[in-house]
Amino acid sequence: MDYRESFEVIVVGGGHAGTEAALAAARMGRRTLLLTHNVETIGQMSCNPAIGGIGKGHLVREVDAMGGLMALAADRGGIQFRTLNSRKGPAVRATRAQADRVLYKAAVRQAVENQPNLFVFQQAVDDLLIEQDQVAGVVTQMGLRFRAPSVVLTVGTFLGGRIHIGMDNYQGGRAGDQPSNALARTLRERPFRVGRLKTGTPPRIDGRTIDFSRLQEQPGDSPEPVFSLRGDRGMHPRQVSCWISHTNSRTHDIIRGSLDRSPMYAGEIEGVGPRYCPSVEDKVVRFADKDAHQIFIEPEGLETHEVYPNGISTSLPFDVQIELVRSCVGLEQAHVTRPGYAIEYDYFDPRDLRPSLETRCIRGLFFAGQINGTTGYEEAAAQGLVAGINAARQVRDEEAWTPRRDEAYIGVLIDDLITRGTREPYRMFTSRAEYRLMLREDNADLRLTPVAHELGLLDDDQWQAFERKREAIAREQQRLQDTLLRPSDLDPATAQRVFGGPLKREQHLDQLLRRPQVSYPDLMSVPAAGPGVDDPQVAEQVEIQARYSGYLERQQDEVARGRRLEHLQIPDALDYAEVRGLSNEVRQLLQQHRPATVAQAGRIAGVTPAAVSLLLVHLRRGSEQAATRHSA
Amino acid sequence: MRPVRVRRSQGGVFVQPLPDTICAIATPPGRGGIGVVRLSGPEAGRYASRVAGRLPEPRRAVFRQFTDAGGQSLDQGLLLWLPGPGSFTGEDVVEFHGHGGPVVLDRLMRRLTELGARPARPGEFSERAFLNGRLDLAQAEAIADLIAAGSEQGARAAMRSMSGEFSRRVTALLQALTELRVHVEAAIDFPEEEIDFLADGEVAAKLRAVRTELDVVLATARQGQILRDGMTVVIAGPPNAGKSSLLNQLAGSDSAIVTAIAGTTRDVLREQIQIDGMPLHIIDTAGLRDSDDPVEQEGVRRARQAMQSADRILLVVEDAVGVGLVEQASLADLPEDLPVTVVRNKIDLSGRVPGVEEVAGKPEIRLSALTGAGVDLLRQHLKQAIGFSGGEDGFIARRRHLDALRRTAEHLSAAHEQLHAAAAGELMAEELRQAQQHLGAITGAFSSEDLLGEIFSSFCIGK
Repeated sequence: MDYRESFEVIVVGGGHAGTEAALAAARMGRRTLLLTHNVETIGQMSCNPAIGGIGKGHLVREVDAMGGLMALAADRGGIQFRTLNSRKGPAVRATRAQADRVLYKAAVRQAVENQPNLFVFQQAVDDLLIEQDQVAGVVTQMGLRFRAPSVVLTVGTFLGGRIHIGMDNYQGGRAGDQPSNALARTLRERPFRVGRLKTGTPPRIDGRTIDFSRLQEQPGDSPEPVFSLRGDRGMHPRQVSCWISHTNSRTHDIIRGSLDRSPMYAGEIEGVGPRYCPSVEDKVVRFADKDAHQIFIEPEGLETHEVYPNGISTSLPFDVQIELVRSCVGLEQAHVTRPGYAIEYDYFDPRDLRPSLETRCIRGLFFAGQINGTTGYEEAAAQGLVAGINAARQVRDEEAWTPRRDEAYIGVLIDDLITRGTREPYRMFTSRAEYRLMLREDNADLRLTPVAHELGLLDDDQWQAFERKREAIAREQQRLQDTLLRPSDLDPATAQRVFGGPLKREQHLDQLLRRPQVSYPDLMSVPAAGPGVDDPQVAEQVEIQARYSGYLERQQDEVARGRRLEHLQIPDALDYAEVRGLSNEVRQLLQQHRPATVAQAGRIAGVTPAAVSLLLVHLRRGSEQAATRHSA
Repeated sequence: MRPVRVRRSQGGVFVQPLPDTICAIATPPGRGGIGVVRLSGPEAGRYASRVAGRLPEPRRAVFRQFTDAGGQSLDQGLLLWLPGPGSFTGEDVVEFHGHGGPVVLDRLMRRLTELGARPARPGEFSERAFLNGRLDLAQAEAIADLIAAGSEQGARAAMRSMSGEFSRRVTALLQALTELRVHVEAAIDFPEEEIDFLADGEVAAKLRAVRTELDVVLATARQGQILRDGMTVVIAGPPNAGKSSLLNQLAGSDSAIVTAIAGTTRDVLREQIQIDGMPLHIIDTAGLRDSDDPVEQEGVRRARQAMQSADRILLVVEDAVGVGLVEQASLADLPEDLPVTVVRNKIDLSGRVPGVEEVAGKPEIRLSALTGAGVDLLRQHLKQAIGFSGGEDGFIARRRHLDALRRTAEHLSAAHEQLHAAAAGELMAEELRQAQQHLGAITGAFSSEDLLGEIFSSFCIGK
């Protein structure tokens, strides 16, 4: 049966990718349907109850700068906020929030339900409607057909999910949900490359059975950092602490004694797990010389006693889980409320996607989130945003939009995925971004809000607030450039305090601010220089841009040198066998990866500069031949 | 359903490139009277005016001094200014026509790279010419062949120019740098893992170690010195094996050796000849003998010192006699790891034909110093021994290596400053990234994925 009305964009899945995709498309004015198998799980944090962290916080801010939801929801649900790396430089500082699952989910649900143009329907999707390699809609479990020219699939861990606890395993999705096996089968019939990944969770613990007096307390920062550029501290609920415990040699003995019942070591699990988030049994085996590992006891919420012991994810049998938990300091009496488990699931090789996240083989079909081999709410949200934008643009025949690697972590994420693919659940790190100094949390809005405005993602309030901030920064930077400070403007005590000694000659304020030890507030405390701006975001921006200026210019040069290759697109149909001079090895690599641009080709491991040159010559020849044909 | 249009352009539209400025020696190496260094790219004019003064009128040759950063003359010759788009590459081009010797040309290349130019990859000038529409379609295939062949040849030349020792050192340097970056990046990306290496001095120690290693590599990069200063060869062998006549043959008619009268001055122990413009310093061990004369003793001392840093030993024997115990013993005085080439002289007497073969791991060359038969083989052999016969590609490959090492060193020095002045981990990390990128020009690219792999295998990371 066909559903009565048709839609412009259909998003399947109500997780972090799905909600951002649906909200983005709806904000851009498209009639959007969000299909989920369970409305109650919209915005659910199925793994650890935290948003952000190094690299991930950057992604969240970027989504926020483009009008996305995640940062605001974190502000509404966050019960502990910290700035990580606060003693290191601004480029690598990142916000992290522990979230109350219930409050976070409520914030997401509220945003979804109040978004104009966005409709929600509860029903599992079993099949896609495809007409001549163009997606036309979806079919639900009960045979209902919804039609739309753009479909975004964000079905995450539910694809072919298999849960392992000890040597037992069964089919299942996250946190007790059903896996989407029908859809997984449908997709497997298409020419997508499918792989298998694995991830895990720790057993959960009843906080009433933990002796917190024996744990190390880890309070939030004071004052509390605010996640969203549009947020404020007033949104935050009551704040609580996290706690730290450790494993010990007895824990490790227990684990070593049970490895024969570990599904991973017994070969039951074929999926590849993440190296940066190993199970506790992995840690003990691979780093045998370490006699203790940290366990972060993270609260699951304000209205529950349940805690998430981050650091001991495991798929060992349940009896071993209890024993290993109880071997740790402060957890001797711990009551486990849910067993830990490993889950294996299908993912689709993201190299089969275009930079827009549209699949190469079915037009109008987009993939976002864990289906593409990533892990983490933040990575999912970032992809959801891009897929939602491009699904919306596709409907109007508008050109796709993807940020470049030098514009956003979102760009790094997508380029890494579609160019190199992934062999383990992909997570963002700042070391993945070569232009790390340019891609900061603090300037996410300066980088992306203007684009978001052009794409039609922002409401007037967000745009006007941004314009005011941008102008204030420019105005203050101009003032610093124009204002000279003379040695005679300073008394010796002030000179000592602000500059660590007398000024030798007159200098402009912007030059003085470049000195590593001079802060903006200190400089503004000099009567001839101040009082400066009040807005802390503006002041921060002025200071950071001055501090990094030399490095930023150098990175800009590097970007400019690479840019011409970024713009050079490689036709989908290019036959690499026709490219003269390529070695067989490089030809195979290119055939396999099918890069979208010449720059991407150059980033594939094993593609030499000479091969890039040959590709350039070939493409140039092609375009000249085309020109000749046209003029003939 | 409305069909969705294909949005991707099929031909590929070319955006105006913003490439860097490249330089290369445009004439074949060797005896040529004129050597041309060519510079192409947006900064060509600016660099040229730093080296040779104000730019002349376009396409008019003027006579100029080419000077180094301190204003000292490197060479003199003609300067040509060919602004784009009318030039060969379509970009701004400058040509320096100087003297043909490789040493002079290399100095000029070094000056240009210090200013910021990059030694060109094989075929890169032609590639730019083609991409800028300066060559017609028919030439595209030839260009592709040139790049493909050039890259292969370049790779071979690079391998040749990387002597075993150099290659081993560079690999060690890469490992040390990787390990350092692993620590710095792990401290940045995993601040909750109780591994703040920036704070605990371990990073400072590792950085020191990397810089020391790089100094060693630069010192080992003998090729660079050889280009500038020439190659030092020790000649050993029994008294009547024909060493002097061999030297005369090697030097050729245009710069014959003054026959040394042993023991007269310390200088006669060392001779300098040229092979195709490359200086060759010869130390004759026959001059090393015990003496009571203090002047001569000093000469002997200096010669022995020079031998310690020599590049190769030529052991000259009579072909009919071969290498005997006495000759073996004469090598005992010399540094053990010096490569030895055995020259089997006087094939005019033994009746054998000239040739090269390897015997017991040592190259043996059969020749006649008297008739000159086979001397060319020795000449080729010596040039090849320092990667000098790789033609232009070998030459440029080596220059690229030195250039890369120099840039690596600059960034390591800046990383040191960042660590100590600002303790700003991310800026130090940026300098190290740049350093590794430059080193990657020799060792091949090192991706962030490789780095993460190292981090995960070194530390237990993750909650």
